[in-house]
Amino acid sequence: MAKDVRIGFDVGGTFTDGVMLRGKEVLAKAKALTTDDVTTGIINALDVLLRTKKAEVSEISLVSLGTTHTTNAIIERKNLNKVGIFRLGAPATTAIPPLTGWPEDLKAAIGGAENIFIVRGGKEYDGRDVVPLDEEAIRSACAKIKGKVDSIAITGVFSPMIPDQEERTAEIIREELGDIPITLSNHIASISLLERENSTILNASVITVMRRAVEALKKAAKERGIEAPLFIVQNDGTVMSADYAVNYPIFTVASGPAASVRGAVYLSGIDNGVVVDIGGTSTDVAYIVNGFPRESSITVTIGGVKTNIRCPDLMSIALGGGTIVKTKGNEVIAHGPESVGYNLVRLGKSFGGPIITTHDIAVARGILDKKLDIFDTDFAPHIDKVKALDKDLVEAAYKMIKNTLEVAVDQMKTVAGNVKAIFVGGGALVVPRENLEGISEVVMPPHFEVCGAIGTTIAEIGAYAEGVADLEIEDRDAAINKVIEKAKDEAEKAGAIRDTVEVLDVEEIPFAYMPGKREKIRIRVKGKIFE
Amino acid sequence: MSNKVFETLEKWGIKNYKIIDKQAVKEITLGASILATGGGGDPEIGLLWAYKVLDEGKTVVMIDPMDIPDDILVASPACLGAPVVLTEKPPSYDVLNNAIRKLEQYWGKKLGATIPIECGGVNSTVAYAAAGEFEVPVIDVDGMNRAFPELQMTSWVTNGVNASPTVSCDDRGNVTVIDTGDDNKMAENIARRVAMAYGGISWIATYPMTGKQVKEASILNSQSIAWELGKAVYRAREKHLDPVKEMLDSLKATRNVTGMKVFKGKIVDISREFGGESTKGFSLGRIKMEGLDEYKGSVAEIDFQNEWLVLRIDGRVRCLPPDLIAIVDSETGEPIRTDIMKYGYRGSIILIPAHERMRTPKGIQLFGPGYFGYDMDYVPVEELNKEVAK
Repeated sequence: MAKDVRIGFDVGGTFTDGVMLRGKEVLAKAKALTTDDVTTGIINALDVLLRTKKAEVSEISLVSLGTTHTTNAIIERKNLNKVGIFRLGAPATTAIPPLTGWPEDLKAAIGGAENIFIVRGGKEYDGRDVVPLDEEAIRSACAKIKGKVDSIAITGVFSPMIPDQEERTAEIIREELGDIPITLSNHIASISLLERENSTILNASVITVMRRAVEALKKAAKERGIEAPLFIVQNDGTVMSADYAVNYPIFTVASGPAASVRGAVYLSGIDNGVVVDIGGTSTDVAYIVNGFPRESSITVTIGGVKTNIRCPDLMSIALGGGTIVKTKGNEVIAHGPESVGYNLVRLGKSFGGPIITTHDIAVARGILDKKLDIFDTDFAPHIDKVKALDKDLVEAAYKMIKNTLEVAVDQMKTVAGNVKAIFVGGGALVVPRENLEGISEVVMPPHFEVCGAIGTTIAEIGAYAEGVADLEIEDRDAAINKVIEKAKDEAEKAGAIRDTVEVLDVEEIPFAYMPGKREKIRIRVKGKIFE
Repeated sequence: MSNKVFETLEKWGIKNYKIIDKQAVKEITLGASILATGGGGDPEIGLLWAYKVLDEGKTVVMIDPMDIPDDILVASPACLGAPVVLTEKPPSYDVLNNAIRKLEQYWGKKLGATIPIECGGVNSTVAYAAAGEFEVPVIDVDGMNRAFPELQMTSWVTNGVNASPTVSCDDRGNVTVIDTGDDNKMAENIARRVAMAYGGISWIATYPMTGKQVKEASILNSQSIAWELGKAVYRAREKHLDPVKEMLDSLKATRNVTGMKVFKGKIVDISREFGGESTKGFSLGRIKMEGLDEYKGSVAEIDFQNEWLVLRIDGRVRCLPPDLIAIVDSETGEPIRTDIMKYGYRGSIILIPAHERMRTPKGIQLFGPGYFGYDMDYVPVEELNKEVAK
């Protein structure tokens, strides 16, 4: 029997979606309530899929999931690791020690300020040592934290350019403390010390959370007779093997919207355009650049901490099926931001309730006229209530919703001109789709309502690498190739077959305000899991 | 309170002072970012530094310039160099103390207070952090009431005070004394090269002057202006008021400064002149905004050289340096900087007249349109907007 069935899950705030696919054929869809521990919700959705008997468990070749385990742990300050924090940068950098600006409760949850060490070391932008690395200080720090911390975060000044001091520090710590999870900042993020350090510490704090989740899911799969590798979605929409993911859990933050973008590309065949993912309470707008979500250039705040991890450039607006239309008589005062959420089926006009929502305007306007098979309830059991709404009111609300959508799509553009838009998500049918300003065409691919879950099953591994070159000394092509090889190594470690790895983009960033021809090279690659 | 700063205030007979807490630092930083006219860079490091100093229980107090004795020594602690290096290599906690100590040695007198050099970026807050570390007050002044890219572009220079001697330090304890007499552009040239030799960033104690000179040559109460602006924006956010109106009202009510909103629109084109960074040390270019709401049909163009410089609306010049151009988010009041602006950004353009001390003939020569390569005579923003003012 062919092993060609893929299973994917997308954990949302309210629901966990699951899909089972063979090639592009969707065999089954599932929806389960998201649980507090996240894992149970995923297993419930898995059981719904398996119960459909649309495929044998022996046919399953891959299980993949976009999860919120790490984000939740950080936001709720639950089950976090105690982190030993090393910064290689003294005598510079001491004015702003690690954890400055962190919320107190989060600081306490990762072991507080007593496990912080600012060690002499660090690099200048041109590769010189700020001062030589103080190896003795690292050893004596290890003696202090032995048995008190669960993981280690190491951040060195200019390490994304020159990582050797971070690597040496990890080596010394392993000699002193044995096998302890260590996160090096040069693997996590780019230039900007404090944000990279924050990202690195957060990563180290959720390693155990991720490890437990992966163990539980592997066990559940095994108990159900599934013998397939487990993959986790990262925030560029590609996946990484679960064993790799336990070392880089921070890359799963914002992976849900990224998976939606990848799913939209996969289902529609459109490589450049805008993805509008409409849910019950909000809509995410993201842009596709050559098949991947465009990266954000601004800092991303997680649990009150500023980070610079790569994340999809996303705009979330308060527009969903349950968003409330506020009226005064037959006049529309405002649309949102409040939403009735999953209470739509009790409170919305279409369901006999008292509140006018986006959903009801869509029904009244005739753009929502069918029930999606992931929903239990019909789309408008009380259609008479909707028909009774004032025509002008409906038109005014429709225009307001249309304008909100147009502005969001426009604000995310980087150049003028019309774009193709892919509408996905459970609420895709509730928003206007015709004559939208700035949009040349609205595409709604089949299975758009489970686009995120489908996006997790594409089975492509993504990886990055960075390096620095001095073009006055080095050959440009050789320098770029060196970084490409490094990126391929990472892709292989994350589960890709090396021969399938291709370069997605090469970025060269000259150092501003600097003499010489120094530049940063950043390479992004993707590779396949299957031949 | 046993802090040395209160002993100093008592000695000077100062009863009126303002305690600068975290909230105040936050408000001043936001206000200063608006006055920074798109420049100054990310203020984050300065903000975190001030927070850290306050978290350690140190006290920062701000006093009025007219209350200080004439004979005290004051100076401006600041950062000079490449912003990208600063974000990767924040300072050592004592680098500014070191610079100040060395300046005291060279000058032969103890520092009495700090003065911020400009509004915007790290430099608007490091004077507060240094004052806290050094247990001296901050004086409610600065040298621009906006941001400019070079050391010599201050009201201090236009009013006869020199940047020299400037002490420049790095985190390893290297010290360079720059003493160029009254050639302030030369002080800038040397300081910039010293920063490169240090690894891209230097920390300086500059513009040493007497209390009397502070009163005669500074932009007085500029910190309060920034503070009031910041408070106005936070108030607008909290009460869902129009932040632009709140800002302008607060400027008028508290400092009698007449700012004006002249445009609302969205950025539809950004052209950057590449290579500007390495040839001139500036990021150069022009943005185009299309009008929204009551400005629909109008087009605004703004040239920038690190800061917003020249505004034209429908082809007509509406603002020239050193007058201030701020673009702020119409909903949040957050200013947009030249280094992070993007296509599609929506905002309102606000113009604020530069302080009279920036508008002297020497000031126009030092940082008027001509210095930035424009073949135009300076005309005050009030004149340029006389007929069109709403």
